[in-house]
Amino acid sequence: MAWAGAIAVAALAAVACCSLLFLAAGADPIAAFAALAKGSFGSARAIADTLVKATPLILTGLATALAFRARLWNIGAEGQVFAGAMFAYWCQSSLGPAPAIVQIPVIVLGAVLGGGLLGGLAGVLKTRFKVDEVIATVMLNYIVIYVLSLLLQQGPWTESGGFFEQTALVPAASKLPILWEKTRLHLGFLLALFVAAILQVIIQRSPLGYEIRAAGSNLRALEFQGVNVSRLVIVVFLLSGAIAGLAGAFEVYGVQYRLKSGTLSGIGYTGIIIAILGQLSPRGVVVAAVLFGALLNGATLMQIKTGVPSALIYAIEAIILMFFLIAWAFSQFRLRRIDHVV
Amino acid sequence: MTVRLSVKNLSKRFGPVQANDDVSLDVAAGELHCLLGENGAGKSTLSACLYGLYRPDGGRILVEGAEQVFRSPADAIAAGIGMVHQHFVLVPTFTVLENIVVGTGVGVKLDLAEARKRVRALCERHGLEIALDAVAEDLSVGEQQWVEIVKALYLGARILILDEPTAVLTPQESDRLFALLSRMKADGLSIILISHKMNEVMRSDRVSVLRRGRLVGTIMTSAVTRDELTCMMIGRALQPVEAKPRIASNVPVVQVRDATLQDLRGVRVLDGLSLELNAGEVLGLAGIAGNGQRELIEAIAGIRRIDGGDILLDGRSIGGSTARDIARLGVGHVPEDRFKDGLVPDFSIAENVILGQHWDAAWRRGPLLDGERMAHHANASIAEFSIVATGPDAPVRKLSGGNAQKVILARELAKATRCLLCNQPTRGLDVGVIDYVHNEILRKRDEGVAVLLASEELEDLIALSDRIAVIFRGRIMGVIPRGSADVARLGRMMAGASTKDVA
Repeated sequence: MAWAGAIAVAALAAVACCSLLFLAAGADPIAAFAALAKGSFGSARAIADTLVKATPLILTGLATALAFRARLWNIGAEGQVFAGAMFAYWCQSSLGPAPAIVQIPVIVLGAVLGGGLLGGLAGVLKTRFKVDEVIATVMLNYIVIYVLSLLLQQGPWTESGGFFEQTALVPAASKLPILWEKTRLHLGFLLALFVAAILQVIIQRSPLGYEIRAAGSNLRALEFQGVNVSRLVIVVFLLSGAIAGLAGAFEVYGVQYRLKSGTLSGIGYTGIIIAILGQLSPRGVVVAAVLFGALLNGATLMQIKTGVPSALIYAIEAIILMFFLIAWAFSQFRLRRIDHVV
Repeated sequence: MTVRLSVKNLSKRFGPVQANDDVSLDVAAGELHCLLGENGAGKSTLSACLYGLYRPDGGRILVEGAEQVFRSPADAIAAGIGMVHQHFVLVPTFTVLENIVVGTGVGVKLDLAEARKRVRALCERHGLEIALDAVAEDLSVGEQQWVEIVKALYLGARILILDEPTAVLTPQESDRLFALLSRMKADGLSIILISHKMNEVMRSDRVSVLRRGRLVGTIMTSAVTRDELTCMMIGRALQPVEAKPRIASNVPVVQVRDATLQDLRGVRVLDGLSLELNAGEVLGLAGIAGNGQRELIEAIAGIRRIDGGDILLDGRSIGGSTARDIARLGVGHVPEDRFKDGLVPDFSIAENVILGQHWDAAWRRGPLLDGERMAHHANASIAEFSIVATGPDAPVRKLSGGNAQKVILARELAKATRCLLCNQPTRGLDVGVIDYVHNEILRKRDEGVAVLLASEELEDLIALSDRIAVIFRGRIMGVIPRGSADVARLGRMMAGASTKDVA
């Protein structure tokens, strides 16, 4: 109950704070919120677009939540998104012409492998060489992102005759099927929900999930029972990376239909915010990702109607996160004044 | 009798817990006054109030008849109250003198020469011999404690609170401490001793017994027996645990041969240690904390790998086996730190009792854990071990130390079909639970299980063990049979004398 109350207060405070921002941008807050809502949920097409925007965030949120549940600070979803997209693209483009029924499984597999291998690498660095996972994953992010740049900048993947840093359009048979006619909602959304459901069961009810949760609470007790903790760490990183990898491939084959750097960046880092807002639970992650998807999607209409720059959405995201964390702290701990520190 | 400190109707509440409830007591000048009580009886809360760490909700504290309100320890120190904590807080790289004067300086310049003179005078007055220029980290635990005491005296303490001061000492060091305390008493100091070791309590002038936050009574120590005090403390009489001596078999279950182990700093924590543990016996392991007990037990349990030598279980080498393999061979392990080593605090009782067996088919239905069967098993454990909890879903984090230990026992006793390793299984537990744990250990022994029991409570070791091995700096100094073990002899061996020296 305390939690629900705290969240309600936090939401009100966040709305108030955003209103101030809108005022500062010279817009009527009510009109801005209305435009935001209309742009994100106002029509079937708007709702579909919201879900399209939410899809990669669901996946990176899940990837981060899984690792964080085991107290493994995987900050590498960003790079794992790129790795998944790149590996999927490499597999698919090496495949040559094939029907969709072959292409799409290859893409999914490639994404899982690419993201998983990069995540697993961080796990190996941590267990074998005692490299802190935060450092390892952040550094690997840079490496992967710049490798893609290299491949796209007059490299083997550059669109022939093209000027931008991007590949050519992918073949039609490799595009993810559209779920809902006349919208852009693609198969990836359904798969993301499926991953969330599976993950919920794994974490709560499987022996592996038991170990992950135990590791998050007291790794030492697991070691005392002879659990191979290094293997557990690597498995968690593999899974986490694989899920993030899917996000990258779905963006390429479900939305952009080509591989380019710009549209992938930020998905992984936003996933960290989503995971925390979702309280590291798959269900919560889905809700938080849809909320953020709505913000991103509604921002365009808000800009057109009220002139509030759409970039302000990132400030709003941060405001939501901040108030959420404050609410969480208040519901977990009772703050009181003390006269001295013991 | 001049009353130096008096506490009147002191109360302190933490949320729903009434830690101190209307406690009143007096401490006289030149008195050694003992605070006795089980864990959670309110001893620590009371002493924290006296030292200004907590502010009482109600009641008054008077020093030399003047009412005091302590807003912080600084106020308590100014009123002449000093405290020596269970865990010492010396700066390891400072010398003894620097440690004593650190934080006491007024103004910019610290007059070390003047300080040295004052400290010397203090030491001479109380018959303390401490090398003032020795570096703190080179001192033994007993010496470090003396430094803490001198520091409190240097700050002008006339009332000294000692929180379980002998927990880390050898019996001989304890004797020296008590000799010092009686000299300080003769000098007119008041000493408040927090303890639950009966033989120390009996050395005090008066005892105040606390139970569930309330003062049961203050009595002259000379007028009561140990049993009466125990009865006051726990509210009922205790059945003494007396192990029936049994003819231990000579069938070795665990054989440790020349085991060596180095820690990360390269110190040999096990130094060619050899030991045999037979079926159907309790082998006590006596030693001062940090002499290799933990390492030995963890090596047998497979948590640490030894660098040299071998360990055999039922004649087969387990030197290269994992903890999981060894557990499957019938070894249970009650680890030293129950919450850090033995339990997952955020997990329920049901989840904790299957820790380590969570992949076993017995707890699964298909690929998933069978919550129903786990809850059923947990309920059985709760009933069998009389665990006080709201149910199998109760998070272990919320259990008391005794109930948490029972969760570990439920899990580890079931595993221990050949061997049971117990490291400080009763540390910090209440008398009633201690009794319970001891009986469980003996029950296992009577089933023919080989039990290795490491404990710092020598009297318990003597009561329970069939043989006692003394460990010192990673070696076994000797193994003495039950009949010829006494505290003094064990104490000398714990300080490094071999069996022959003390025979």
